[in-house]
Amino acid sequence: MAADVRAKYRTEIQQMMFVSGETGDVSPETTSMIEGIVQQQVLEMLRRATELAGRRGVRTISTDDLIFLIRHDKAKVSRLRTFLSWKDVRKSAKDSDEKGGGGGDAGGVDDFDLATNDPTLGTGPAVGTRNNKTKKAKVGLPWDVSSFYAEQVPERDDEEDEEEEEMNAATLQRLKQADDRTKGMNAEEYLHFSECRQASFTFRKGKRFKEWAGFGMVTESKPNDDIIDILGFLTYEIVTLLTEEALKVKAAEDALKRESGGDEEKRGRKRRREPGLFDPPQEARTPVDHRHIQEAFRRLQKAELKTNYLSHVSKGNWQRSLKLI
Amino acid sequence: MRKQLKRRTPHDESTTESAQREYDAKTSAPPRKAARVIVEDDYGDDDSDEEDDTAKQSPLKSKGASTLTTTATRSPAPSTIPPPHRSNTATSTEPAKSSEDVRKQLEEDKKLAAESAKRTFQGMYFTFEYDADAMLEQQKLDELDREVENEISGGPNTSSGAQQGAGSSSGAAATQGTLGSADLGASSLTLKHLIARIDSKRFLVKASDNQLRTLISEVRKGRSKWASEDRVGQEELYEAAEKVLMELKAMTEYAQPFLQRVNKRDAPDYFNVIKYPMDIGTMLKKLKSFAYKSKKDFVDDLNFIWSNCLKYNQDPAHPLRKKALYMRKETDKLTPLIPEITVRDRAEVEAEERRQHALDADESDDDDAPIMASRGRTAPKKGVKGGSASSKRPPTLAVDELSSTPAPDPKPAMHPLASGLRNGALRADSEVHDASSAGFNTPPPGNATPLGSLGVNGVHGSGAPGSQADITEVDATGASIVSSTEDAEEDDTEFKGWKQVTKKDRAQAAAERHRLFVGEQLKHINVDEPALLRTKAGMRRWMRQQKMAPSERPSAEGEMDEGFGDVEQTAQGETLAEGIEKDEDSTLPDYYTSLSAIPDIDAKLKWITDSEGYAVPQTDECMRMFPREQFKSPESTFTKKMEANIRQMQETRKICSKIGVVKQMQIQAQTYQNQFQKYEPQPFVEQDVGPVVVSDDGPIMAPWVCRAAFKRSIGKVFYQAGFEEFQPSAMEAMTDIASDYFGALVNSFKKFREPSKDDEGRPRFTFEEQVLHALHENGLDMEALETYVKDDVDRLGSKLGVVHERMKSHLADLLRPALGDSAGVDGVGAFNDGSEQFVGGDYAEEIGEDFFGFRELGLADELGLESLSVPLHLLQNRVHSAYQSQNQGPVATTGLTFEPPPAYEPITVDNLSNQIGLVHDFFREKLRKNHDEPLVEDEDLPQKQRFPKPRLPPTGKISSPRKRPLREQQQAAKKKRKLEESGLGNNQKSQQPPISKLKLDLPPPTTTRHAPDDSNSAVDPEKDGDVGTADNNALISPESIAAN
Repeated sequence: MAADVRAKYRTEIQQMMFVSGETGDVSPETTSMIEGIVQQQVLEMLRRATELAGRRGVRTISTDDLIFLIRHDKAKVSRLRTFLSWKDVRKSAKDSDEKGGGGGDAGGVDDFDLATNDPTLGTGPAVGTRNNKTKKAKVGLPWDVSSFYAEQVPERDDEEDEEEEEMNAATLQRLKQADDRTKGMNAEEYLHFSECRQASFTFRKGKRFKEWAGFGMVTESKPNDDIIDILGFLTYEIVTLLTEEALKVKAAEDALKRESGGDEEKRGRKRRREPGLFDPPQEARTPVDHRHIQEAFRRLQKAELKTNYLSHVSKGNWQRSLKLI
Repeated sequence: MRKQLKRRTPHDESTTESAQREYDAKTSAPPRKAARVIVEDDYGDDDSDEEDDTAKQSPLKSKGASTLTTTATRSPAPSTIPPPHRSNTATSTEPAKSSEDVRKQLEEDKKLAAESAKRTFQGMYFTFEYDADAMLEQQKLDELDREVENEISGGPNTSSGAQQGAGSSSGAAATQGTLGSADLGASSLTLKHLIARIDSKRFLVKASDNQLRTLISEVRKGRSKWASEDRVGQEELYEAAEKVLMELKAMTEYAQPFLQRVNKRDAPDYFNVIKYPMDIGTMLKKLKSFAYKSKKDFVDDLNFIWSNCLKYNQDPAHPLRKKALYMRKETDKLTPLIPEITVRDRAEVEAEERRQHALDADESDDDDAPIMASRGRTAPKKGVKGGSASSKRPPTLAVDELSSTPAPDPKPAMHPLASGLRNGALRADSEVHDASSAGFNTPPPGNATPLGSLGVNGVHGSGAPGSQADITEVDATGASIVSSTEDAEEDDTEFKGWKQVTKKDRAQAAAERHRLFVGEQLKHINVDEPALLRTKAGMRRWMRQQKMAPSERPSAEGEMDEGFGDVEQTAQGETLAEGIEKDEDSTLPDYYTSLSAIPDIDAKLKWITDSEGYAVPQTDECMRMFPREQFKSPESTFTKKMEANIRQMQETRKICSKIGVVKQMQIQAQTYQNQFQKYEPQPFVEQDVGPVVVSDDGPIMAPWVCRAAFKRSIGKVFYQAGFEEFQPSAMEAMTDIASDYFGALVNSFKKFREPSKDDEGRPRFTFEEQVLHALHENGLDMEALETYVKDDVDRLGSKLGVVHERMKSHLADLLRPALGDSAGVDGVGAFNDGSEQFVGGDYAEEIGEDFFGFRELGLADELGLESLSVPLHLLQNRVHSAYQSQNQGPVATTGLTFEPPPAYEPITVDNLSNQIGLVHDFFREKLRKNHDEPLVEDEDLPQKQRFPKPRLPPTGKISSPRKRPLREQQQAAKKKRKLEESGLGNNQKSQQPPISKLKLDLPPPTTTRHAPDDSNSAVDPEKDGDVGTADNNALISPESIAAN
């Protein structure tokens, strides 16, 4: 299965990693490891979501079940909500456009819309200008304050959700990074970059993803489009996170190498210690290795402090469950 | 005697007594030398007056019975007293008032002594060490009494037997025809005129002989056992003599050696020295066998006792001498009480009377006086008694009591002779001393009398030292008892007085205590004794003494005497129950009866009610109370924030429920009065635990309370997290988890607090470190806590506020769509756009439907309509009225821009002509129906009588709640039939166009308002029954649209 997996999403993962900052050519081991990790995460998510749905007495998982799983990562939830609301906007816009304009837009445009409308992926200004006239609807969550009450009332324009803004900060930070990276790019490079940004596990690969994620095995239901989209979003997030973490690991390793390993080199080839004029740029030299990914995953799996409170419970066979990242 | 004096209850009795007193004073006014002495018939008891009184009350009728009833409760000795001794001699009532006064004075002194002794109860604590002596002495006294009784009731008592015979013969006389021939004892003499009178008019008296006899016997009161018809003066003499003897005998401390005959074994040479041995016991025997003929005989015998003693015991230091001297002094004091009477035969007296009558009328009024005296004594009593034999005692006692009360007693003042005790005492003293055969070492009268007025105690206190030099006799019986300590303490008058007064009771108490133990050294408890039980009487007495202690009233000694019985008790007692148990002796201070002690209730523990009758919870400052508010969440910013959130949620829920109601009303065609429960959330108030007393600092070990409090906190957190209600099981589970967690937290905190072993007990960490470590150990850090506060409390608060505002505005929109932000004051702004909103409404646009067909008809464009719908608030007038008052939207806050027009005048018969002519008939008809009362506007009618307003339900079907007149219905039915016949259409659809037209022509609001009136000529749309379609089309049935 591993070979299949590797074959399945290698490019996407490479693209995602590229967007996340890994510029080099990533080895297949690395991507397959990432793919394995992502798959594990998706399976776990689906399993738990199914469990949650079962607790409600429903077989089909809903978006809420999925979002509930990542509820503690508020920034991620916020991004996801934004993603979903823009998805709604896109959908309704497409509907109205189809109605009004007779469906003149090609599917490709829609696809592009999706990619660019996603604030996580796309650039900010484009989003703002394109969707001014349709108000994006907020995605309500069952544990939101508004669901405390028996009656749901429409939101009002003048209300500002400070939390939303705060959550956006992280997103903006990420966008700024991408912006910085693209600053020095020429048109070709930027095109490549923007293409890479559209990489997705799910987009237009619905069937492949369903097979890959084990729909029908883990969950019996036919997945909702929204769920597939959310999973696509989440898988993208996982890859990004892993890559970022792996880069950090590698940077630390490199730093360590430069100190301790440098000494070794000094012993062997002293001359090469000095950075040469024609040395390739350092970050481009070695891509992230699979052990970096492993280390990054290990770090990400590190138990949070708050799970400590059960530390006094006798462990026995109890095994820490997989942490969703 | 003491009892009698003690029981001074001046408030008790009323005018009859004062009258009695005056009468007494009058009758006693003439000075009489003849003594009238009341002799007590009670032996062992010093409080014997009541028995004395009873004896006086009924000498004839039921002497034996009454004596028995009264004495049954006492020591066995007096109960063996023989029935009254009456010898038929001269009149016995020759009262010597002077001596009586003296006696009273003495009694008073004694009473004072008793009272002072009692007062010392409050201030002084007397030990029990003399009780044993008292007990032994008392035993001796009782023995003596028994001895005397045995001797008297034995062979020598022939005379008493004869008297008994006389007594019984009086009973037998009841069968005789006339009262005069009946032997009524002494009364036959004193009341002879009365009896003769009654005899002569016997047929007029409607009472039987028996009744009369009872009456007379009651009237003839005050006859003691000594009374005798034939022996003039015997009653008075013997009564006085007996009293003196009892008095002396009661001074057990001193009288002890003289109670019994000196035994030859004890003093072999006694009878060589003493020629005329005498002792108190012998004197009692002599008294009972009527051996004394005069006062002198009696006093001589008394003095013999003392002089014998002094004579035999020559040694000046002999302890008995002191006693004898003391006794002699006492005797000297008491002897004046005995009237100077020589007992004579009646015949002799009468002869003398006759002689004196002839000689001098002034010289003697012996004949009148007895009658007067007896009347004076008896007449008022009779009135009080009311003839009831059983209930006669208490009032009589009260009378006696009162007459002997010193304070209001006018007698001493009025009586020349008895005005001063001193005079009488002096004279008596001299007489006594003349008569005494011993003659030597008589204490100077001047010494005795002034002290006598001070009280008994004072006398023997000062008298004792003076008699030290006298020779005393050896008394075998007394020797063993006298203890040397008593001598040492004789100076203490208070103490001695106390000893004297309480002697008998102390002896009893000691004897009772003694009975409880057996064995050689009284080490074992006597198992045969009855258990010690509290008695109500005992506790009452104890209470009384306690009450008396602070008040210090001299006469407050409200001890009830045993002889007074139940009737007396209830007459003046505090409770009815008081009489059920018999009160017993009383002279002892309360600490003698520890069994009856009632512990004080602490003022803090008393049941105090406030003005509204609620019990005031008592808390004690001196108790260590558990600090308050420990079971509540502490006052902090955080708690306040949480509570504010909770409040906010409640407020929002309130609005929410209103929205729900509005929505429900829009869906439902009919609503019911109580369909919607008003949401009135109560604010959360945490209750603290009640006052808890703890024995030490630290937490209360009450797991269930703590758990409950914890649960409450968790419930609050739940609520704040948005759960309005939750299952108990969830609560339980959460409580378990949380308490487990906190247990772990505290546990690790404790671990970090423990000082290290190597570091000399210094804690390893600072407090801050301890806390942080403990938190970390359990998966918390400051950041997490802060995040919680920031996100889950602070931000939640702002979110809640936002939602609240949203709800509010939504509700306002729902109720008053026109009164949006642009509406301005009082909704005036809503008209700025040409009132189109009110004309057509605009919801249709939102929905995108064109119910009215405005657009299709081209009207929308033609008229430039901005909206195609009817405003909700115009459709839902019920919603409007129901929520107008509750609505907190902008309307409520704005004032009225325009004054409401004045109300129309009600239409009456008078102002009917002001109306236009068209409606005259209509109104006249209405008025006639209303009985010419002014008509009431529909709006002013009570809710129930109001005609239901025409309204449009959300189904969109115009209905008329009012039943149409029958005729109209018939018309409609006819029309329908006609239409069907005409075959214009299979159904009613074909009929609709005109109606639809009509509706379209009219502005929609008008349509709704007047729908029942305007369009009811046609088929009622509400009867269609196709609800499904009607739901979609708010106003018009689908047919009409189709038709158009």
